[in-house]
Amino acid sequence: MVSSFTAVLRKDLLLEVRGGQSTVALGALSLLVLVVLVFAFNPGGGEQGAEAAAGALWVALVFSGMLGATRAVSAESENGCIRALLMSPLDRAALYAAKLAAAFIFMAVAEAASIILMVLFFNLEFDARVMRLVPAVLLGALGFAALATLLAGISSRLRGGDLVLPLLAVPMFVPALIAGVKASASALGGAPSSEFAIWLKVLVAFDVMFVAAGYLLFEYVAREE
Amino acid sequence: MNGRGVRLGLGLVAGALMLAALYMVFVYVPTEADQGIVQRIFYFHVPCAWVAFVSFALVAIAGIFYLWLGQQVWDDLGYAAAETGMVFCTLVLVTGSIWAKPIWGAWWTWDSRLTTTLILWLLYGGYLMLRAMAGDSEQGARFGAVVGIVAAIDVPIVIVSVRLWRTIHPAVLVTRQGGHGLEDPRMVATLLVALAAFTALFIWILCLRFVTLRMHTRLGALARSLALAEAAAQDS
Amino acid sequence: MDNLSYLFAAYAIIFAVIFGYVLFIWRRQVALEAELRAMEARMRALDEAAVATKAARFRAGS
Repeated sequence: MVSSFTAVLRKDLLLEVRGGQSTVALGALSLLVLVVLVFAFNPGGGEQGAEAAAGALWVALVFSGMLGATRAVSAESENGCIRALLMSPLDRAALYAAKLAAAFIFMAVAEAASIILMVLFFNLEFDARVMRLVPAVLLGALGFAALATLLAGISSRLRGGDLVLPLLAVPMFVPALIAGVKASASALGGAPSSEFAIWLKVLVAFDVMFVAAGYLLFEYVAREE
Repeated sequence: MNGRGVRLGLGLVAGALMLAALYMVFVYVPTEADQGIVQRIFYFHVPCAWVAFVSFALVAIAGIFYLWLGQQVWDDLGYAAAETGMVFCTLVLVTGSIWAKPIWGAWWTWDSRLTTTLILWLLYGGYLMLRAMAGDSEQGARFGAVVGIVAAIDVPIVIVSVRLWRTIHPAVLVTRQGGHGLEDPRMVATLLVALAAFTALFIWILCLRFVTLRMHTRLGALARSLALAEAAAQDS
Repeated sequence: MDNLSYLFAAYAIIFAVIFGYVLFIWRRQVALEAELRAMEARMRALDEAAVATKAARFRAGS
């Protein structure tokens, strides 16, 4: 099972490195979202600026995450490769893990870019507070990737299913979104680490539940008739 | 599946309990000191929320059985629960809003309970849209089951995170205190009767919807075998 | 009294929505029963045709 996981993941990453445009697309989308939000909120400095920055970062995460998951899941949609993949004796759970990992890696790269852009656009400093953001963002990206990979499996199999992914992913992601934004805002605003720890725990719980759920349920999604 | 008699019986029980609940809400229970008569909305608002959450759990349980056993009856039950739950969830939000306006002066407050119910409503909506898009297919039933299960897993963590959100960060708008601190035992009794009435009503409506879905499933199977028989008859 | 209007509105909406949904289910039921009757008619037609075919073959002696 581990070998099929690495095989699929390696294939997806190779595709990306050899000229796939997913990470570029995700990065570009994050940039655009951040620009829009700067105009929308016109943030000042201080705590209000930190909260706006945290919020903007997570909006960018959600939007780029949806794109990333869709891309990771539909990597084989051209030339009917998906049928070949599913006809092979490939463990569906391994397939899910590989897609999840691919989506997560795409998102993590985009998030790194987003954090840098956020510091620039919202007039913050590249200091220890920004470093505290990293675990929250990584946990959030993992949770969203887990959720969106499963849902993208559904939306990619439905005609006109592009609406389904955001429609379901956004409300389901709300707990992690709340936790992530609050953790990020407290990290950037220099709030006590006890508050930060609580929100991180919520993120961890979210990740555990959704990775497990996706792992168990993906086989019911990726069943080709 | 359910005999006409059972459905009629359930309907009568629900109706009787509802009448009892209405009597208690409008005649028996005393007016609450702070909020006045508008507080009486509470006695029907809370049971609607109870039904909405129970129905959501039912969608998930039906989904688990459907994925495990593959029998269409479970999907029919899940869909009936989703549609019924959506109706009651909408009522929670609408009555909550109507209650909030005279008390807090705003049509919507982001307090923890209303926010959680809003998320629930969005999840219900997503499920129903998914089913509409997937149509009357096995794939639709399977996807619905998966989404129902995942959404139900999500709900507890939504409740926790929204509550934390509202307590760690004090609300800008005044939050509704929740209204479960009922002083008068008559209020408790009224709430319990209303809960019973809405539970009976929910079961009745769920049965009605479930029966139509079962009929639809059976008619589909019947239509297919009829078409085959008619084609065979033409050949002979 | 304005608060009375709010109370009335809330309860009126509850009953309107529930009544509306039950009505929706009832109409579905009626349509499905009509479909069922149409199918039963088709089945009877099939049975009669089968019987007629069998009788014709019997008379023809094959």
